[in-house]
Amino acid sequence: MTDRLATLRHVTYAYPGADGPAIVDVDLDVRPGLTLVAGDSGSGKSTLLRLFNGLVPQFHGGRIAGSAEVLGLDPMRVPIPRLAVGAGLVFQDVETQSVYGTVEREVAFGLENLGRPRAEMHDRVDEALAELGIESLRRRRLATLSGGERQKVQLAAVLALRPRLVALDEPTSQLDPAGAAAVLESCLRATGAGRAVVLAEHRLEAVAPVADRLLQLDDGRVREADPGRLASLRGGAGPKQRRVPSRSVLGPGPDPSWELNDVDAGFGRRPVLEAITLAGRRGEVVALTGPNGSGKTTLLRTLAGLLAPMAGSIRRPDGRTAYLPQDPGALLHLPTVRAEVSLTIARSGGNEPPDAMLAAFGLLGLADRYPRDLSSGERQRAALAATLAGSPQLVLLDEPTRGMDGAARAALVGAVRELTGRGAAAVVATHDEGLVAAVADRVVRIEGGRVVEMVAEVGRRPDEGATGQDFTGEGITAADVAAGSTA
Amino acid sequence: MTSTVAVDGSVRPGGALAARAWLTWSLAAVAIALAGTNPIYRGIVALAALNVLAAWLPRGRSLRPLAWALAFAAGFAIAINLLASHTGEHVLVRFPDGLPLVGGPITVESLAYGATLGLGLVAAVLAVAPLSMVLESHDIVDALPGALERTGIAVAASMNLVSGFGRTFSAVRDAQRMRGWRPGGIRSWNEVLVPVALTAIEDSVLLAEAMEARAFGAGRRSSFASGSLGRRDWLVAGSALLAVGVFVGGRFLGLGADWYPYPSLVMPAVDLPLVAGCLLLALPAFMHRPEPAG
Repeated sequence: MTDRLATLRHVTYAYPGADGPAIVDVDLDVRPGLTLVAGDSGSGKSTLLRLFNGLVPQFHGGRIAGSAEVLGLDPMRVPIPRLAVGAGLVFQDVETQSVYGTVEREVAFGLENLGRPRAEMHDRVDEALAELGIESLRRRRLATLSGGERQKVQLAAVLALRPRLVALDEPTSQLDPAGAAAVLESCLRATGAGRAVVLAEHRLEAVAPVADRLLQLDDGRVREADPGRLASLRGGAGPKQRRVPSRSVLGPGPDPSWELNDVDAGFGRRPVLEAITLAGRRGEVVALTGPNGSGKTTLLRTLAGLLAPMAGSIRRPDGRTAYLPQDPGALLHLPTVRAEVSLTIARSGGNEPPDAMLAAFGLLGLADRYPRDLSSGERQRAALAATLAGSPQLVLLDEPTRGMDGAARAALVGAVRELTGRGAAAVVATHDEGLVAAVADRVVRIEGGRVVEMVAEVGRRPDEGATGQDFTGEGITAADVAAGSTA
Repeated sequence: MTSTVAVDGSVRPGGALAARAWLTWSLAAVAIALAGTNPIYRGIVALAALNVLAAWLPRGRSLRPLAWALAFAAGFAIAINLLASHTGEHVLVRFPDGLPLVGGPITVESLAYGATLGLGLVAAVLAVAPLSMVLESHDIVDALPGALERTGIAVAASMNLVSGFGRTFSAVRDAQRMRGWRPGGIRSWNEVLVPVALTAIEDSVLLAEAMEARAFGAGRRSSFASGSLGRRDWLVAGSALLAVGVFVGGRFLGLGADWYPYPSLVMPAVDLPLVAGCLLLALPAFMHRPEPAG
């Protein structure tokens, strides 16, 4: 067909030194519109996207078989810079793909590399910024932008090359809902201009409503997903709805396990959190929500004892406090996954075998592997197992589902329930409404360093009633909180 | 046209000076600061550079870390000279001769010479500070000759990873601490430094991949910014070159002799033509022209 922009035929590829291929016998045609690529971590999504602009195999090396054509060029042989003109790629991490410090120059970087005349560069930068509606950011420093804005800048930097095919590798995984929506809106604008957008994502519900097509990758094999699945994702059909109460104060009951009393916290002399009063009980999961930069991480670090409060007091339960930072895979350094889990158990003074925790996260088969050789999802599970081992009494999780596939999310939910079932208290900072619905007993919204919103939220819970609690969903107002009443 | 970051993080091309003008000014200021040991000229260069930096410093950036670093460096230079020189007629205190390095007389002269060494260090650092605190990395890349441009881009891009490196270090240290790690001997830091180093390597590979995906290394590059200098750029560069000319010419004519406080403390000589030359370096401080963002 004339509108076919890319064609892959029987493509099989293995990274250098890999035991097996990352993608297997892929047959695929890409046409204008938004193609959503689904699949677990390690299923080959990133590899597939890198095929379109030649990064696989040319940048990474390895072995490849089959044939491919992208906009009339062979991505296995044509130099990557030449392919970049027609096929762009936006990566997951907004931090590690920036070259310059300012928006305008970042967008122009690819055009400079191609040696375009200055006047043409200015026109194209104008065009790309306008296409994404970010002209007002032109002179801003990247460091001052939100995650969503930065990801839009990266998309503009690719669109400035006027590619007809744009691949995006989990572009919303690190963004709050507003940032993710902004990026998806940009994708729609790109497809509206007749481009093909191929987008790999875990959060299918967010993207499905705007997708024209859904591909499923399993163990490197790609197939067209059942049309009914895309329709059901678009329709939002899912688990039963559950209402999670949103309030910052505890209701009547036993003494709290942890408390923040009128706490100010921050860096230098600048408080990020102001006058925070919160508490939680044994067995309770409190979810912290709010936009990027609102102070959720600061609150967790303060509660963990990693950041001294400027004012106020903090109480934690006796016993170990587990803290999972953002990008937990960064902490892994031992030769095996089992050694990572064993280290935490030994340090906490426990003597339970590590296999229980490894099994909880589906890692028994990977227990003797080097953690950094694992796929990103597997690595994240390994970090979770290493963090949550040792029977903690307080569990603090910072964006734990970032970039996580369904299996890892399910394992996380199970582990949190297991720990809280044994009496631990948990605090989870997250943008993931699905996770909130799955594990939270109470939601606290943080914005601008304060608890700002006291209305009930609605979420879904795959396993309704697993905690044995029944919430009325009745919210309380800020005035109620100020008055010390509860819902 | 070059770009300089303004108050709210926006870039202000119209009011900024070209990177080549800044480079010329910095080289001139460093040359004068290090060309002699006279503390009067060094002091004037330091004050001029400080004023220029204060005028052009983008809002949101602070001079405080630089001030602390300079105070430490200058203090170190003074202390070393004070304790190790043992030369001069005016003795402040005398340490036992048996003490290694510091044993002997501690003199006013060695304190004064240490201070002029520290002042030279401060002046030189303040002279080059605008290159990192006022200019953006792409401004520097634009100012480099073509042969160095790609190297400059690679350095500029890697500098973007530095902030991420710091964040990774903090995150890993915190996470390991919560797993029971406590800092002890050098080997104990393996638990933090090894994962941080591995993550930095992974990030570098990702950055290289992202750059290649945007055609880095395709061939002859062009530049988004014009390399031409405007009237104000020429004025800054010209005045800086004139300052160097006056200073070097004056030295050839016997003015601005070096100053040594040994064996007995004397006042440094002051030659007005050289003072005027040094003051020319303050010109950029009066050329800052804020423009509205956007």
